[in-house]
Amino acid sequence: MEPLLIALPKGRMADQSLDLLQRAGISMPNGDFGRKLVITSADGALRYIMAKPTDVPTFVEYGAADMGVCGLETLRESGRNVYEPLLLPFGHCRLSLISPTDRPDTPLRYESQPRVGTKYPRLTMAFFRERGVNAEIIALNGSIELAPLVGLADLIVDIIETGNTMRANGLAELRVIMHSQAVLIVNRAAYRLKADLIQQVLTALRAVLETNEQTSTRNVNV
Amino acid sequence: MKTTVPLAPQTSTLIPRGVADYFWEEALQRRRLEVALLDIFRTWGYEDVIPPMFEYTNTFSRHANNELQAEMVRFQDRDGSTLALRADMTIAVARLVGTRLHDWPMPQRFCYTGSVFRDTELQAGRQREFLQAGIELIGAPSPTADAEILALTAKALQMAGLNGFKLVLGQMGYFHGLLQALQLTPDQQRWLQQAIDRNSEPEVAGFLRAVALESQQRRAIEELPSLNGHDVAAILAHAEQLCLNQVMQAALSNLRAICTALDSYGLLNFIYVDLTEIHNLGYYTGLTFEALAPGLGFPVATGGRYDQMIGAFGKPEAAVGAAFILDRMLTARRNSTGPQKPPQPVAPQLLVAATTSSQCLAIVEEWRGQGIRVAVDVGNHTVSELWQMAQKIGCQRVLVWRGAGFDVYEDAPTPARYIAADDQAQLLNLGS
Repeated sequence: MEPLLIALPKGRMADQSLDLLQRAGISMPNGDFGRKLVITSADGALRYIMAKPTDVPTFVEYGAADMGVCGLETLRESGRNVYEPLLLPFGHCRLSLISPTDRPDTPLRYESQPRVGTKYPRLTMAFFRERGVNAEIIALNGSIELAPLVGLADLIVDIIETGNTMRANGLAELRVIMHSQAVLIVNRAAYRLKADLIQQVLTALRAVLETNEQTSTRNVNV
Repeated sequence: MKTTVPLAPQTSTLIPRGVADYFWEEALQRRRLEVALLDIFRTWGYEDVIPPMFEYTNTFSRHANNELQAEMVRFQDRDGSTLALRADMTIAVARLVGTRLHDWPMPQRFCYTGSVFRDTELQAGRQREFLQAGIELIGAPSPTADAEILALTAKALQMAGLNGFKLVLGQMGYFHGLLQALQLTPDQQRWLQQAIDRNSEPEVAGFLRAVALESQQRRAIEELPSLNGHDVAAILAHAEQLCLNQVMQAALSNLRAICTALDSYGLLNFIYVDLTEIHNLGYYTGLTFEALAPGLGFPVATGGRYDQMIGAFGKPEAAVGAAFILDRMLTARRNSTGPQKPPQPVAPQLLVAATTSSQCLAIVEEWRGQGIRVAVDVGNHTVSELWQMAQKIGCQRVLVWRGAGFDVYEDAPTPARYIAADDQAQLLNLGS
């Protein structure tokens, strides 16, 4: 049978994904990535690729990868048409609208045309359109916090995990646009064509997640 | 050396986004697939139909969901009415039957190929212009009609060399029945539909948190995403337990009847039942399906039952059909045979030097009658020029008429052999 190809997002989320897959008893990449782009598992049943996080939904929608892991906010921003059958217990963060702390406390809908810097132009556009506000979206690729400091943007939309970077730069969270965490995504065709393999992976992961939940509930009770 | 991207590209080389030139081998393969598909459809009793390339926008709008509405390529007629390039073949055929062929004996079977235009985000095998083939079976409400469309779809995919394909079957009635039972607001309906369509754990969970439901209703939603797989009997039995009304039950018995009919065609092994299969066009009322082939992340064909459409144009008639996306079929076939190569030219097999000899031209005609591709020079080129051209375009042999036979140039710019005009066996061999 053809091996299942899994796309992992480069960075911390890849390690967390591999850790979870390993606990679920799913065969691991046989070796380290380093310069290699594709690694097969020892038993040959799975192949892994490392992709830029924002590219994972693209690989999966086209079926170049059968499944992948990415942040829910990355997936929604991509607009890619994939299955998203399982939330994973890491990568928790929120996508928020952020302003300088000295912004007067007036509703957003009073703004005529705010300039908003972001790595998430689609979601930002949707957020403002829903409120009838015609925002000028300034698409950036990094150091979003810089934009209001140098007058490039009035507001920014960005990911907040701890909020430390935000506070250190004199910025404050105005609104939560969405809560996010890692999600397992699957190509629509592969979900049916390779149903047996994919269901095996899903079942194994669900089992680990349930055990996790029980453990964490117990901890809370103690 | 030119190092900058031109700021104003030469417009004479530009073609609009989402349309393509096809030529050489690639064009040939597209045409061949079109012809082969139509040939199969005709052997099942389907008759040709060629709908117009554009129609009144209203004709399409009445049956289009929001997506299709937004994707129509519109322009204005001289009298100010809005026209749209053919955005959907099924609607065009339904209009024809509903308005003009309503008194002809039913069922009527139609098949077609042609370009469809949708101003959509570009994706594999779905540019703004894309080539479709399709079949419509009109005036037959029975499950055996659904099974015939599925069986013919399977036949067409097998013929196209797409081994290992799967037919994913859904039934819109099951989800429609669920929506009826739940009594949701339009916003909530859309939310649930997207959540189920994406098989989305986060969205289904969010929906269940936000909307107050009875426990039976909750369960029907929670377990809906698991209602898919190869084991038709088990899935239908599970789905049965979740039914909230007659509509859902009717959908399941219809699906069961279709699968029984498919068993007679020996197709059960290709079937995957999926009751979350609800994302199709919006006009489907019963069976809905998509065909998947290994090596491609998108369906190569889609279809279903649309019993409400023809009535909008005239007398109501039940109908079921399928549409094939030819570029996706070709891509899937190429993907399954290794990495893609750029298309090759399809050169003539024989290049004959300019001649006025009627005996020579008669022999050329004989070759052509055998299906051999022969081009006769019309530019009075020298033999060495012809030889060079043949080398360049990938033509195997250059022939020069010598009054009673041909000099044959094969591997070198000098004649490899001479074949006399009466040497029939040798002459025919040249085309191989």
